Amino acid sequence: MIATQLKYDLLMFFREIFYVVFSLLVPPATYIFLGQLFKESTYSGLSYADMATPSFVLLIAFTVIFFAFGFDQVASRSEGVEKRILLSPVSSKTLLISSVLKSIIITSFGFLFIHAIGFFLYDLSLKPVQLAVAYTLFLLLNAVMMTAASAVYSFFKNMKSALVFSIICFQVVMITGDFSFPVNMMPDFVQAAARANPMYHMNHLFIDVWNGQLAWNSSTWTAVSFLSFVFVGSCIILSLPGRKKV
Amino acid sequence: MNVVEVQNLHKSYGNRHVLKGIHFEAHAGEIIGVIGKNGAGKSTFLEIIMTLKSFDQGKVRLFGKNIEEAHGAALDELRRNISAVLQPTQFYKSLKVEELLRLFKAYYQSDVSIEQMIADFSLASHRKTYFEKLSGGWKQKVSLAIAFLSKPKLLILDEPTTGLDPHMRQTLWAYIQHYNQKAGGTVILTTHSMDEVERFCDKVMLIENGRTKQFDTVRRIIASGYQSMNDYYLQNVPSSEESVS
Repeated sequence: MIATQLKYDLLMFFREIFYVVFSLLVPPATYIFLGQLFKESTYSGLSYADMATPSFVLLIAFTVIFFAFGFDQVASRSEGVEKRILLSPVSSKTLLISSVLKSIIITSFGFLFIHAIGFFLYDLSLKPVQLAVAYTLFLLLNAVMMTAASAVYSFFKNMKSALVFSIICFQVVMITGDFSFPVNMMPDFVQAAARANPMYHMNHLFIDVWNGQLAWNSSTWTAVSFLSFVFVGSCIILSLPGRKKV
Repeated sequence: MNVVEVQNLHKSYGNRHVLKGIHFEAHAGEIIGVIGKNGAGKSTFLEIIMTLKSFDQGKVRLFGKNIEEAHGAALDELRRNISAVLQPTQFYKSLKVEELLRLFKAYYQSDVSIEQMIADFSLASHRKTYFEKLSGGWKQKVSLAIAFLSKPKLLILDEPTTGLDPHMRQTLWAYIQHYNQKAGGTVILTTHSMDEVERFCDKVMLIENGRTKQFDTVRRIIASGYQSMNDYYLQNVPSSEESVS
């Protein structure tokens, strides 16, 4: 049953132009575009590819999980699809596992896609062990994002308000996540906002691990503590009675 | 054994008391119409017996089992015997008709042939059409095909003929009657068409202000002095204007 559900979940994702454009076209296109502008630049000793590759991998994961995992739950709920599925004898566990697997498959495709672009366009050198460690962290960050997305979208019953929230959220993450705009060159209030953005912490943690430069200093501990807080907080929200889960 | 047994059912949404004492029972093979004006509580009542909504007070038994005690696998087992057409009719919009049939066949682990369902419901011309591209009538038709796919013991239809042209209505009722006679399945439906109630239902329950006002056979109701079910409805259900004044 999981295989059947997963097959149709993937089919539905790739038929939804909105999801595909925001998740699998915009981030790689931005990665290529910025690369053409800044590929000769260095960032604290790191090349454009070293800095941007993990960032854009994570950006794909964010868009996939927030749109195709989180927002999709609201769409199903508000359109009445969830009610009809609930009436059929398919377990919610099957639906959840399929939805999680779908997200992991698509985000992993994004992981490979960005690396392939980096390899062919920006001479990215790949070290297998380092890549394996980075992929493991990537999966953990996927889990944090899925839990957070489920918690956040459990507050929405209406698709329009969820869509507005998603678009604003995407803009905030793009600006304060240190993905394409350097946060350290922005005004103080934007820098303060960035530190309250979980994606900013994920991004820096992932860049460090991806480059084999993780040091257990105060900023690393801050990032780990902040993300743990987000994860536990999301779990608490989801465990509250009456909360809509996947 | 009663297929459905409901005693003194109460349900509130916050301060709004929607169901204030519903008594109902359905036996195998019966077609029962649930009538009442908009907002009377018909859809809430149906969603409770579909196991989709909880309730505050009363007893609801399906196939002899108390639904409040059914969880996990036991609830899945109950749901395996129930199918429904909800209002509005919605399924995954980016799946094609044939794909939806295959997905629900897997959900219900049904042995019914997809080709047979497509032929029976004359869906061949739209088998490759996305659900969101279908007109209201076609969506209803697909929804019915999916409902029958599982060969349910209990079929619940919330205003199934709304938006259908007379030909489609005729087809729908032909299926309901065929299913009812062949499989001995029980059908519970809401409708505003008193003509359909009179022609096709064995019994009718009138809900007024969240309570069962009358629950009897169509034959006995008409024999008690009404020209038709339409006449009965007009004399027993106040119009919205009367309710407001």
